[in-house]
Amino acid sequence: MLRFFVTFVALLVVLFGLELTPWVQEYLVAPWTNAVAAASAGLVTLIDPAVAAIGKIIRSTANGFAVTIEAGCNGVEATIVLVAAMLAFPAPWSRKLLGIAAGIVAVQGLNIVRVISLFYLGQWNLQVFEWAHLYVWQALIMLDVLVVWLVWVRLLPSTGGPASRPGGPGGGSAAPASA
Amino acid sequence: MRSPLVVFIFKIFGWLPVAFAAWYFAAPVLFWPVAVIVEFVARAGFANLVQGIEQAGATLVFATTLKPGGTTAQSAQITVDVDMLLYGFGLPLYAALVLSAREPGLARRMAVGYALLVPVVAWGVLADFLKTVAIASGPVVASQTGFVAWQRELIAFAYQFGSLILPAVVPAVAWVLTHRAFLERLKK
Repeated sequence: MLRFFVTFVALLVVLFGLELTPWVQEYLVAPWTNAVAAASAGLVTLIDPAVAAIGKIIRSTANGFAVTIEAGCNGVEATIVLVAAMLAFPAPWSRKLLGIAAGIVAVQGLNIVRVISLFYLGQWNLQVFEWAHLYVWQALIMLDVLVVWLVWVRLLPSTGGPASRPGGPGGGSAAPASA
Repeated sequence: MRSPLVVFIFKIFGWLPVAFAAWYFAAPVLFWPVAVIVEFVARAGFANLVQGIEQAGATLVFATTLKPGGTTAQSAQITVDVDMLLYGFGLPLYAALVLSAREPGLARRMAVGYALLVPVVAWGVLADFLKTVAIASGPVVASQTGFVAWQRELIAFAYQFGSLILPAVVPAVAWVLTHRAFLERLKK
Protein backbone atom coordinates (compact mmCIF):
# COMPACT_ATOMS: atom_id res chain seq x y z
CA MET A 1 0.00 0.00 0.00
CA LEU A 2 2.79 2.45 0.90
CA ARG A 3 4.60 1.78 -2.39
CA PHE A 4 1.38 2.34 -4.34
CA PHE A 5 0.64 5.57 -2.47
CA VAL A 6 4.16 7.01 -2.86
CA THR A 7 4.29 6.07 -6.56
CA PHE A 8 0.83 7.55 -7.14
CA VAL A 9 1.72 10.87 -5.50
CA ALA A 10 5.05 11.09 -7.36
CA LEU A 11 3.39 10.39 -10.72
CA LEU A 12 0.65 12.90 -9.93
CA VAL A 13 3.13 15.67 -9.20
CA VAL A 14 5.24 14.90 -12.28
CA LEU A 15 2.30 14.60 -14.68
CA PHE A 16 0.61 17.71 -13.30
CA GLY A 17 3.85 19.65 -13.48
CA LEU A 18 4.29 18.58 -17.10
CA GLU A 19 0.74 19.62 -17.87
CA LEU A 20 1.46 23.14 -16.68
CA THR A 21 4.45 23.65 -19.00
CA PRO A 22 3.90 26.11 -21.87
CA TRP A 23 4.65 23.50 -24.55
CA VAL A 24 2.08 21.02 -23.23
CA GLN A 25 -0.46 23.79 -22.71
CA GLU A 26 -0.07 25.08 -26.26
CA TYR A 27 0.20 21.81 -28.20
CA LEU A 28 -1.83 19.38 -26.12
CA VAL A 29 -4.13 20.99 -23.57
CA ALA A 30 -5.45 23.89 -25.67
CA PRO A 31 -6.29 21.75 -28.74
CA TRP A 32 -7.86 19.14 -26.44
CA THR A 33 -9.99 21.80 -24.74
CA ASN A 34 -11.15 23.10 -28.12
CA ALA A 35 -12.02 19.53 -29.10
CA VAL A 36 -14.12 19.13 -25.93
CA ALA A 37 -15.99 22.33 -26.79
CA ALA A 38 -16.53 21.18 -30.38
CA ALA A 39 -17.69 17.72 -29.30
CA SER A 40 -20.08 19.20 -26.72
CA ALA A 41 -21.53 21.68 -29.21
CA GLY A 42 -21.74 18.96 -31.86
CA LEU A 43 -23.75 16.71 -29.55
CA VAL A 44 -26.03 19.54 -28.45
CA THR A 45 -26.82 20.59 -32.03
CA LEU A 46 -28.47 17.19 -32.51
CA ILE A 47 -31.36 18.53 -30.43
CA ASP A 48 -30.69 22.29 -30.29
CA PRO A 49 -29.31 23.86 -33.49
CA ALA A 50 -28.79 27.27 -31.85
CA VAL A 51 -25.37 26.37 -30.41
CA ALA A 52 -21.89 27.02 -31.73
CA ALA A 53 -18.37 26.32 -30.53
CA ILE A 54 -15.62 28.90 -31.07
CA GLY A 55 -12.32 27.68 -29.71
CA LYS A 56 -12.99 26.70 -26.09
CA ILE A 57 -16.23 28.69 -25.89
CA ILE A 58 -19.71 27.27 -26.39
CA ARG A 59 -22.25 29.94 -27.22
CA SER A 60 -25.99 29.99 -27.68
CA THR A 61 -26.74 31.77 -30.95
CA ALA A 62 -30.30 32.37 -29.68
CA ASN A 63 -29.59 34.35 -26.49
CA GLY A 64 -25.83 34.93 -26.51
CA PHE A 65 -25.17 32.96 -23.32
CA ALA A 66 -21.74 31.35 -23.39
CA VAL A 67 -19.52 29.13 -21.28
CA THR A 68 -15.77 28.86 -21.62
CA ILE A 69 -13.96 25.66 -20.79
CA GLU A 70 -11.05 26.47 -18.51
CA ALA A 71 -8.49 24.41 -16.58
CA GLY A 72 -10.31 21.99 -14.32
CA CYS A 73 -13.24 21.72 -16.70
CA ASN A 74 -11.49 20.09 -19.65
CA GLY A 75 -11.12 16.72 -17.90
CA VAL A 76 -7.32 16.83 -18.18
CA GLU A 77 -6.60 16.87 -14.44
CA ALA A 78 -9.11 14.08 -13.80
CA THR A 79 -7.43 12.03 -16.53
CA ILE A 80 -4.02 12.70 -14.95
CA VAL A 81 -5.29 11.39 -11.60
CA LEU A 82 -6.68 8.23 -13.22
CA VAL A 83 -3.50 7.60 -15.24
CA ALA A 84 -1.34 8.06 -12.14
CA ALA A 85 -3.53 5.66 -10.13
CA MET A 86 -3.45 2.97 -12.83
CA LEU A 87 0.27 3.29 -13.48
CA ALA A 88 1.04 3.15 -9.74
CA PHE A 89 -1.09 0.05 -9.06
CA PRO A 90 0.63 -3.33 -9.54
CA ALA A 91 -0.85 -4.85 -12.70
CA PRO A 92 0.29 -6.23 -16.08
CA TRP A 93 1.23 -3.46 -18.49
CA SER A 94 -1.36 -4.62 -21.02
CA ARG A 95 -4.07 -4.14 -18.37
CA LYS A 96 -2.70 -0.74 -17.41
CA LEU A 97 -2.79 0.51 -21.02
CA LEU A 98 -6.25 -0.93 -21.65
CA GLY A 99 -7.51 0.58 -18.40
CA ILE A 100 -6.04 3.97 -19.22
CA ALA A 101 -7.65 3.97 -22.68
CA ALA A 102 -11.06 2.94 -21.34
CA GLY A 103 -10.70 5.32 -18.40
CA ILE A 104 -9.98 8.29 -20.64
CA VAL A 105 -13.17 7.56 -22.60
CA ALA A 106 -15.19 7.27 -19.37
CA VAL A 107 -13.79 10.44 -17.81
CA GLN A 108 -14.01 12.55 -20.95
CA GLY A 109 -17.50 11.22 -21.67
CA LEU A 110 -18.75 12.38 -18.28
CA ASN A 111 -16.88 15.64 -18.71
CA ILE A 112 -18.80 16.38 -21.90
CA VAL A 113 -22.02 15.68 -19.97
CA ARG A 114 -20.76 18.20 -17.38
CA VAL A 115 -20.09 20.87 -20.01
CA ILE A 116 -23.47 20.41 -21.67
CA SER A 117 -25.39 20.38 -18.37
CA LEU A 118 -23.63 23.55 -17.18
CA PHE A 119 -24.36 25.25 -20.50
CA TYR A 120 -28.08 24.75 -19.97
CA LEU A 121 -28.07 25.25 -16.20
CA GLY A 122 -26.45 28.63 -16.75
CA GLN A 123 -29.24 29.68 -19.05
CA TRP A 124 -31.83 28.57 -16.53
CA ASN A 125 -30.48 29.75 -13.18
CA LEU A 126 -27.05 31.24 -12.45
CA GLN A 127 -27.08 30.30 -8.75
CA VAL A 128 -27.73 26.66 -9.57
CA PHE A 129 -25.06 26.90 -12.28
CA GLU A 130 -22.51 28.20 -9.76
CA TRP A 131 -23.30 25.41 -7.31
CA ALA A 132 -23.14 22.73 -9.95
CA HIS A 133 -19.99 24.19 -11.52
CA LEU A 134 -17.94 24.90 -8.40
CA TYR A 135 -18.95 22.06 -6.10
CA VAL A 136 -21.19 19.26 -7.36
CA TRP A 137 -19.58 18.48 -10.70
CA GLN A 138 -16.08 18.66 -9.21
CA ALA A 139 -17.09 15.89 -6.80
CA LEU A 140 -18.88 13.86 -9.49
CA ILE A 141 -15.92 13.88 -11.87
CA MET A 142 -13.62 12.65 -9.09
CA LEU A 143 -16.21 10.02 -8.19
CA ASP A 144 -16.13 8.91 -11.84
CA VAL A 145 -12.35 8.55 -11.65
CA LEU A 146 -12.62 6.52 -8.43
CA VAL A 147 -15.36 4.25 -9.82
CA VAL A 148 -13.44 3.63 -13.07
CA TRP A 149 -10.35 2.75 -11.04
CA LEU A 150 -12.37 0.43 -8.75
CA VAL A 151 -13.92 -1.35 -11.75
CA TRP A 152 -10.48 -1.73 -13.32
CA VAL A 153 -8.98 -3.12 -10.10
CA ARG A 154 -11.92 -5.53 -9.81
CA LEU A 155 -11.30 -6.83 -13.36
CA LEU A 156 -7.58 -7.42 -12.79
CA PRO A 157 -6.40 -11.06 -12.58
CA SER A 158 -6.70 -11.99 -8.91
CA THR A 159 -4.47 -15.05 -8.67
CA GLY A 160 -0.85 -15.47 -9.64
CA GLY A 161 -0.63 -12.09 -11.32
CA PRO A 162 1.17 -8.90 -10.28
CA ALA A 163 -2.15 -7.52 -8.99
CA SER A 164 -2.15 -10.05 -6.16
CA ARG A 165 1.28 -8.89 -4.93
CA PRO A 166 1.32 -7.09 -1.58
CA GLY A 167 1.77 -3.35 -1.91
CA GLY A 168 -1.56 -2.31 -3.38
CA PRO A 169 -5.00 -2.01 -1.83
CA GLY A 170 -6.08 -5.06 -3.79
CA GLY A 171 -3.04 -7.19 -3.04
CA GLY A 172 -3.24 -10.67 -1.49
CA SER A 173 -6.51 -12.42 -2.18
CA ALA A 174 -5.76 -15.02 0.50
CA ALA A 175 -5.00 -12.50 3.23
CA PRO A 176 -7.38 -9.57 3.10
CA ALA A 177 -5.93 -6.31 4.35
CA SER A 178 -7.72 -4.48 7.09
CA ALA A 179 -8.49 -0.80 7.09
CA MET B 1 -27.49 -11.10 -8.14
CA ARG B 2 -26.57 -7.41 -8.24
CA SER B 3 -22.89 -6.55 -8.22
CA PRO B 4 -21.79 -5.09 -4.84
CA LEU B 5 -19.98 -2.36 -6.77
CA VAL B 6 -23.20 -1.34 -8.53
CA VAL B 7 -25.06 -1.30 -5.20
CA PHE B 8 -22.24 0.81 -3.72
CA ILE B 9 -22.45 3.32 -6.59
CA PHE B 10 -26.23 3.67 -6.19
CA LYS B 11 -25.80 4.30 -2.47
CA ILE B 12 -23.26 7.04 -3.17
CA PHE B 13 -25.76 8.86 -5.40
CA GLY B 14 -28.29 8.58 -2.60
CA TRP B 15 -25.95 9.96 0.05
CA LEU B 16 -24.31 12.72 -2.02
CA PRO B 17 -27.24 15.21 -1.95
CA VAL B 18 -27.64 14.68 1.81
CA ALA B 19 -23.91 15.14 2.38
CA PHE B 20 -23.77 18.28 0.24
CA ALA B 21 -26.75 19.82 2.05
CA ALA B 22 -25.26 19.09 5.48
CA TRP B 23 -21.87 20.40 4.33
CA TYR B 24 -23.29 23.64 2.99
CA PHE B 25 -25.34 24.50 6.07
CA ALA B 26 -22.69 23.37 8.56
CA ALA B 27 -19.86 25.11 6.64
CA PRO B 28 -19.21 27.90 9.19
CA VAL B 29 -18.56 25.28 11.86
CA LEU B 30 -16.87 22.71 9.59
CA PHE B 31 -14.42 25.27 8.26
CA TRP B 32 -13.55 26.94 11.55
CA PRO B 33 -10.40 24.73 11.97
CA VAL B 34 -9.38 25.78 8.45
CA ALA B 35 -9.56 29.42 9.52
CA VAL B 36 -7.42 28.64 12.57
CA ILE B 37 -4.75 26.89 10.47
CA VAL B 38 -4.71 29.60 7.81
CA GLU B 39 -4.39 32.34 10.43
CA PHE B 40 -1.52 30.50 12.13
CA VAL B 41 0.38 29.97 8.87
CA ALA B 42 -0.31 33.49 7.61
CA ARG B 43 0.94 35.09 10.82
CA ALA B 44 3.98 32.82 10.94
CA GLY B 45 4.94 33.08 7.27
CA PHE B 46 3.39 36.24 5.86
CA ALA B 47 2.95 38.63 8.76
CA ASN B 48 4.22 41.47 6.55
CA LEU B 49 1.25 40.96 4.21
CA VAL B 50 -1.62 40.05 6.54
CA GLN B 51 -2.99 42.39 9.19
CA GLY B 52 -5.88 40.19 10.20
CA ILE B 53 -8.11 37.32 9.13
CA GLU B 54 -11.82 37.02 9.83
CA GLN B 55 -14.22 34.19 9.11
CA ALA B 56 -17.57 35.25 7.70
CA GLY B 57 -19.59 32.07 7.28
CA ALA B 58 -17.76 29.97 4.70
CA THR B 59 -15.61 32.92 3.58
CA LEU B 60 -12.25 33.99 4.94
CA VAL B 61 -11.56 37.70 4.74
CA PHE B 62 -7.89 38.67 4.68
CA ALA B 63 -7.16 42.25 5.74
CA THR B 64 -3.81 42.99 4.15
CA THR B 65 -1.16 45.65 4.57
CA LEU B 66 -1.18 46.21 0.79
CA LYS B 67 -2.37 49.42 -0.79
CA PRO B 68 -4.32 49.50 -4.05
CA GLY B 69 -2.28 52.34 -5.54
CA GLY B 70 -3.48 54.54 -8.35
CA THR B 71 -5.74 57.44 -7.37
CA THR B 72 -7.21 55.59 -4.38
CA ALA B 73 -6.70 57.23 -0.96
CA GLN B 74 -3.38 56.28 0.62
CA SER B 75 -5.16 55.05 3.75
CA ALA B 76 -7.06 52.41 1.71
CA GLN B 77 -5.94 48.81 2.15
CA ILE B 78 -6.76 45.73 0.18
CA THR B 79 -8.92 42.93 1.54
CA VAL B 80 -9.12 39.55 -0.11
CA ASP B 81 -12.13 37.26 0.27
CA VAL B 82 -11.65 33.53 -0.25
CA ASP B 83 -14.56 31.10 -0.47
CA MET B 84 -13.54 28.04 1.57
CA LEU B 85 -16.26 25.95 -0.10
CA LEU B 86 -14.21 26.03 -3.34
CA TYR B 87 -11.56 23.86 -1.72
CA GLY B 88 -13.81 21.86 0.56
CA PHE B 89 -16.11 19.95 -1.82
CA GLY B 90 -14.13 16.83 -0.98
CA LEU B 91 -15.78 16.69 2.45
CA PRO B 92 -19.27 15.74 1.23
CA LEU B 93 -17.72 13.37 -1.31
CA TYR B 94 -15.73 11.61 1.41
CA ALA B 95 -18.76 11.50 3.72
CA ALA B 96 -20.92 9.95 0.97
CA LEU B 97 -18.25 7.31 0.27
CA VAL B 98 -17.96 6.40 3.96
CA LEU B 99 -21.72 6.26 4.49
CA SER B 100 -22.18 4.14 1.37
CA ALA B 101 -19.50 1.61 2.38
CA ARG B 102 -21.05 1.43 5.87
CA GLU B 103 -18.04 -0.26 7.50
CA PRO B 104 -17.73 -0.56 11.31
CA GLY B 105 -16.23 2.46 13.04
CA LEU B 106 -18.13 5.05 10.98
CA ALA B 107 -17.38 7.94 13.33
CA ARG B 108 -13.67 7.12 13.43
CA ARG B 109 -13.45 6.93 9.65
CA MET B 110 -15.30 10.25 9.31
CA ALA B 111 -12.94 11.85 11.83
CA VAL B 112 -9.84 10.53 10.03
CA GLY B 113 -11.09 11.84 6.68
CA TYR B 114 -12.00 15.21 8.18
CA ALA B 115 -8.54 15.48 9.78
CA LEU B 116 -6.90 14.74 6.41
CA LEU B 117 -9.09 17.14 4.45
CA VAL B 118 -8.94 20.23 6.68
CA PRO B 119 -5.25 20.93 5.81
CA VAL B 120 -6.11 20.48 2.13
CA VAL B 121 -8.75 23.20 2.37
CA ALA B 122 -6.28 25.40 4.26
CA TRP B 123 -3.69 24.89 1.50
CA GLY B 124 -6.18 25.93 -1.18
CA VAL B 125 -7.33 29.00 0.75
CA LEU B 126 -3.82 30.20 1.49
CA ALA B 127 -2.63 29.57 -2.08
CA ASP B 128 -5.69 31.43 -3.39
CA PHE B 129 -4.87 34.44 -1.20
CA LEU B 130 -1.20 34.47 -2.21
CA LYS B 131 -2.09 34.06 -5.89
CA THR B 132 -4.47 37.01 -5.64
CA VAL B 133 -1.98 39.41 -4.05
CA ALA B 134 1.21 38.20 -5.74
CA ILE B 135 -0.09 37.66 -9.27
CA ALA B 136 -3.73 38.42 -10.04
CA SER B 137 -4.06 41.91 -8.52
CA GLY B 138 -1.66 43.52 -10.95
CA PRO B 139 1.90 44.87 -10.72
CA VAL B 140 1.15 47.75 -8.32
CA VAL B 141 -0.05 45.36 -5.62
CA ALA B 142 2.29 42.48 -6.52
CA SER B 143 5.36 44.69 -6.17
CA GLN B 144 4.44 45.43 -2.54
CA THR B 145 4.46 41.73 -1.62
CA GLY B 146 8.21 41.36 -2.14
CA PHE B 147 7.91 38.03 -3.93
CA VAL B 148 10.51 37.40 -6.62
CA ALA B 149 9.88 35.52 -9.87
CA TRP B 150 10.61 31.98 -8.66
CA GLN B 151 8.43 32.53 -5.60
CA ARG B 152 5.54 33.69 -7.79
CA GLU B 153 6.00 30.54 -9.91
CA LEU B 154 5.86 28.46 -6.75
CA ILE B 155 2.71 30.27 -5.64
CA ALA B 156 1.14 29.67 -9.06
CA PHE B 157 1.95 25.94 -8.87
CA ALA B 158 0.71 25.69 -5.29
CA TYR B 159 -2.53 27.40 -6.29
CA GLN B 160 -3.07 25.18 -9.33
CA PHE B 161 -2.24 22.03 -7.37
CA GLY B 162 -4.34 23.17 -4.43
CA SER B 163 -7.39 23.95 -6.54
CA LEU B 164 -7.28 21.39 -9.37
CA ILE B 165 -5.78 18.28 -7.75
CA LEU B 166 -5.76 18.19 -3.95
CA PRO B 167 -9.45 18.90 -3.16
CA ALA B 168 -10.56 16.12 -5.53
CA VAL B 169 -7.81 13.54 -4.96
CA VAL B 170 -7.32 13.60 -1.19
CA PRO B 171 -10.90 12.52 -0.30
CA ALA B 172 -10.65 9.57 -2.69
CA VAL B 173 -7.21 8.59 -1.38
CA ALA B 174 -8.38 9.00 2.23
CA TRP B 175 -11.33 6.76 1.55
CA VAL B 176 -9.19 4.08 -0.13
CA LEU B 177 -6.73 4.13 2.77
CA THR B 178 -9.48 3.77 5.40
CA HIS B 179 -11.52 1.10 3.55
CA ARG B 180 -9.02 -1.52 2.46
CA ALA B 181 -11.11 -4.44 3.75
CA PHE B 182 -14.14 -3.11 1.85
CA LEU B 183 -12.04 -2.82 -1.32
CA GLU B 184 -10.83 -6.38 -0.88
CA ARG B 185 -14.44 -7.60 -0.73
CA LEU B 186 -15.37 -5.50 -3.78
CA LYS B 187 -12.50 -7.04 -5.71
CA LYS B 188 -13.71 -10.61 -5.13
